[in-house]
Amino acid sequence: MSAAGSMQLAERCRALSVTALAFALPVLLILVPLAIFLVYSFFSVDHGEIRHELSLGNYVRFFTDPVFLPVFRNTLVLCVSVAVICILLAYPAACFLTTLKGRWRYALLMLLMVPLLMSYVIKIYAIRSILGLNGFLNQALVWAGILEEPSPLFVFNMNAILLTLTLLLIPFAILPIFLSLERIPQNLISASEDLGASRLQTFLRITLPLSLPGVATAASFVFVLAIGDFLTPQMVGGVNGFTFGRVLYSQFGTAYNWPFGAALSVMLALVVIVAILLGERFGRNRGASA
Amino acid sequence: MSHNSDLLTLRGASKSYGAVPVLHGIDLAVRDGEFLTVLGPSGSGKTTVLRLIGGLEPLSSGEILLDGEDISRMPINRRPFNTVFQDYALFPHMTVAANVGYGLSVRHEPRREIARRVAEALELVQLGQFAARYPAQLSGGQRQRVALARALICRPRLILLDEPLAALDLELRRQMQEFLKSIQREVKTTFLFVTHDQEEAIGMADRICVMQGGHIRQLGTPHELYYRPNCEFVARFFGENNLVPGKLGPVAGDLRSIDTALGRLVCSVEGQPDLRNAAVGTAAFATFRPEALHVAQAGETENRIAGRIADIAFAGASTIARIAPDADGSPLLRLRLPSRIGGGEFTAGQPVELTFRPHEGHLVPA
Repeated sequence: MSAAGSMQLAERCRALSVTALAFALPVLLILVPLAIFLVYSFFSVDHGEIRHELSLGNYVRFFTDPVFLPVFRNTLVLCVSVAVICILLAYPAACFLTTLKGRWRYALLMLLMVPLLMSYVIKIYAIRSILGLNGFLNQALVWAGILEEPSPLFVFNMNAILLTLTLLLIPFAILPIFLSLERIPQNLISASEDLGASRLQTFLRITLPLSLPGVATAASFVFVLAIGDFLTPQMVGGVNGFTFGRVLYSQFGTAYNWPFGAALSVMLALVVIVAILLGERFGRNRGASA
Repeated sequence: MSHNSDLLTLRGASKSYGAVPVLHGIDLAVRDGEFLTVLGPSGSGKTTVLRLIGGLEPLSSGEILLDGEDISRMPINRRPFNTVFQDYALFPHMTVAANVGYGLSVRHEPRREIARRVAEALELVQLGQFAARYPAQLSGGQRQRVALARALICRPRLILLDEPLAALDLELRRQMQEFLKSIQREVKTTFLFVTHDQEEAIGMADRICVMQGGHIRQLGTPHELYYRPNCEFVARFFGENNLVPGKLGPVAGDLRSIDTALGRLVCSVEGQPDLRNAAVGTAAFATFRPEALHVAQAGETENRIAGRIADIAFAGASTIARIAPDADGSPLLRLRLPSRIGGGEFTAGQPVELTFRPHEGHLVPA
C-alpha cells in the first residue's frame, strides 16, 4: 500500500472514531437507560425484592386494574385541555407580538420568556398562593362581587392543576406560534389584500393556515411537558387532583414497585412519542416558500 | 394601437419615509390599454410609484386619479388593480388553481364560475395541466405565469408588475418578455411594468418613463428615449451612448453647432426649443450613438473625428471598438460595427477618421 493510501486510511479511521463517539454519548446516556427501563417493565416485585423474570404481568395489571386506566384517561384529557387553552391564549399574544415593530417586539418576547428562568418550584408556590382560599384570585373575585365568599374551587383539585400547568407552560406555546407567524412573508399578506381580500379573509385564508405548523409544534410541546409533570399535580392537586404522573411517581417512591413504575412509564412514553410524531407531522410546512 | 384616454393620473405624488423623501411630487398619466414601463436604477423610486398606485403604501402628498376620481385613500382591496410581485408571492399552501382563483373566491363568486375562469386563465398562460400542483413544485417561469394568471383573473383595470422577470435567467427572461407582451395584446389590459433593465424596457414597452432620484426624467416611446434623450441621465442610461461635453454655438435651421474637445460638432435640435433658444456658450453635451459613427468618406466634411482604435470587443452580432480621439480632453468614444467572420477591418492601435451625420447627432442639456 502506498504512503498516500495509508494516510487516507488513518484519516478515515479518525473520522470514523469521531462519528462513533458522537453517537456513543446519546446511545449511552439516553438509549441504554431507556432500554433498561423497557426491560425492567417486564420484571416483577416479590416482598420488596425485584424478580428478574420476564412477564407481561405489569401490563396486564395496568389494563385490568380499575384504578389506572381512568387516571390515565383523565390525565390525557387534562393535558389536552392544557394544550388547547395554552394555544387559545398564546395565539393572540403571538399575533400581537408580530404587530410590534423592531425593538419592542423582542423586548416583549424576552419579558414573556423571563418566567422560564425562574425555579419551577418557586413558580408553583407563587401560583398556589394566588389560587388559594385567601389568595389573590379569590380576593379579587369577592371584591368584584362575582363570589360571595372565597371559593375552594381553585386549589387542591384538577382545576388547580389545569390553571397552574397552563400558566407555567404558556411561554412554550407562544414561542413556536410567534416564530411561525413571523416567518410568513409580508408579501403574501399584501398579495391577498391586493387580490381583494378583507383583513379577516386574509387572516383566515393565509395567516392562519400558514401558522398551523407553529400551532402543532406548540401543542405537542405543551402536551408533552404537561403529561410528564408530576411535581405540579403533587403541589397544587391535593387529594382530588390525582394524575398519571403522580401514580408513576408513587410507584418509584412510596410503593417501591420499580417494574410496575417502569411499565407505566412505557405507556406514558408511547403517548409522548405519538404526540411528538403528530406535532412533527403537522408541524412541517406544506410547501417551501414560493 | 390608440391610447386616447388617460386611465390613471398621478398628480404631485410624493412619498417620504420619515424624513427621507423617495418621490418628489411626480406627475404621470397612464393611458388606457398601454404597456407603460417605469425604468430606473435602484433607489430611483420606481417601485414606490407602483406601491402607491397599488395601495400598498399611502401617499405623503398629492393624489392618484382613476377615471378622474381621486382614489388615493381607497384601501388596497378595493382598488381595481392587481399586482404581480417580484417574488411572485404565491400562497404556498394552495394549489395553482386555488392561487389563481383566490381573487374570485374572496369575492364569493359561485364555484362553477370560479372553476371556469381559473381554467380559462390557466389556459391563457399555458399552465392548464398544472392546476393541481403546489407552487413549490413549479419552476420559476411557471410560478411567474401563475402569478400573472392570478392577477389577470379579476379583470383589473391595471396590472402592476414589480420587476417580475428579475429572478429568471436570461433565456427564460427573453421568452417571458415576449409572452407578457403577447398576453397584454390579447387581454388588452393596461400594464404598468417596473424594471431596471433598459433592454427589457425597450423591448416591451409602448412608452417608457425613466426615473432617477425620485423624479421622472423623461417619458416617451422607446424610440424617442433612445434617439432623443432630453438629459444627460437618460442619454447615458440607454445603451453605450457617446457623450461629449461642450459649449453651444450658432443655430442653423434644425441644426446647432457645439464646440467640444473634438472641435466643432453639428447636431440636431429638432423638437428641442429649449436647446435651440439657449444662449451661445451654454454648456451642453453632443451625443451620438455608437452605431451612428462610421468611417469618414471623402466629401463628409462635418463632425470629423480623428483618433486611434484603443481596443476592440467582440459582442456577438456586433463588435464595439473604443476610439481614443487625438484631441486632448475628450472621453473615449464607442463605435459599433456589425461583426464579420475573420474579424473586422480594424485592429487595435490603428488610426481612424470617423464621422456621424448631423441629423444622427443630438444635443442634451448639461
